[in-house]
Amino acid sequence: MDKLKVAVVGDATSVAGFRPLGFAVFAVETPSEAREVWPELTGGEYGVVLLTEKVHEEISEMVAEHSDEIIPAVTVIPGAGSKGGVGQARLDAAIERALGTKAFIREEDD
Amino acid sequence: MPALRVNPNRMELLKLRRRRQVAERGHKLLKDKLDELMKEFLARIGESRKLRSEVERELLAAYGVFALARAEAGRASLAAALASGTPAELLEMSVRNVMSVRIPEFELGKLPEPGGYSLVTTPMMLDAALDALAAVAPRLIELAGREKAIELLAAEIERTRRRVNALEHVLIPQLNDTIRDIGMKLDEAERSNLTRLMKVKEMIEAQQAQ
Repeated sequence: MDKLKVAVVGDATSVAGFRPLGFAVFAVETPSEAREVWPELTGGEYGVVLLTEKVHEEISEMVAEHSDEIIPAVTVIPGAGSKGGVGQARLDAAIERALGTKAFIREEDD
Repeated sequence: MPALRVNPNRMELLKLRRRRQVAERGHKLLKDKLDELMKEFLARIGESRKLRSEVERELLAAYGVFALARAEAGRASLAAALASGTPAELLEMSVRNVMSVRIPEFELGKLPEPGGYSLVTTPMMLDAALDALAAVAPRLIELAGREKAIELLAAEIERTRRRVNALEHVLIPQLNDTIRDIGMKLDEAERSNLTRLMKVKEMIEAQQAQ
């Protein structure tokens, strides 16, 4: 049983509320800042990393590089003022990777 | 499919037949693994999808309450109120093995009681907002774990499918072709040997008749 932390990366407005809950909050405003904090997040200290959609957009390549490792489990959350859907798209990408097709699952859902 | 370049003799033939047997057994095993992975994967997807849309909705609702709190208290005083709190080791992780894919499972420990801000200067809304966020947190972590599992399974499925396809469409046909080629060459040698023998026999008989 490993003890790990939870990190939240996003613009200050979105991530503000997570700090009192004991999450590690990284408020980033620019893409380069987001890139700078990423290596720290993958160091093994953090089990779950929550990225706002905007941040994920900026560093999605770096995130993809670590997608085959057990931790961190990266999950996209909607930021304040964004409409969501990126996380779903990420899930769809994984499905496409596995099945080689997108349409397959959609049909099952309906 | 170009056949392998090997000497067409009985030794090679036996070797290749053994290799084909191994390849076929490996192919069957991998195919079973792929089916099982797929089952596991498909079972996880539907639930994860539902969980995600719920979590997103709740999270956006919590943001809304925060926005109200911010409007009531002012940006600066809210930021000051939320500055307290230190990152804690909230998660317990264990690793589960699903069809040789190592999948993390997270368990969220007890969240620290939010506090450390003045109840006088901050609006009541802030408490409500933090409560809302704390309520989503466990499901957020669950979602993260599930999505990671899906991601890892997807990668493994892709790898396994490649192996299955390589065996099925490249290695096994190649071995089959080579085995057939060698078989034909050996048959041909056998036939030419036979005709030579018959010819020699004929010549000997002709000699004896004289």
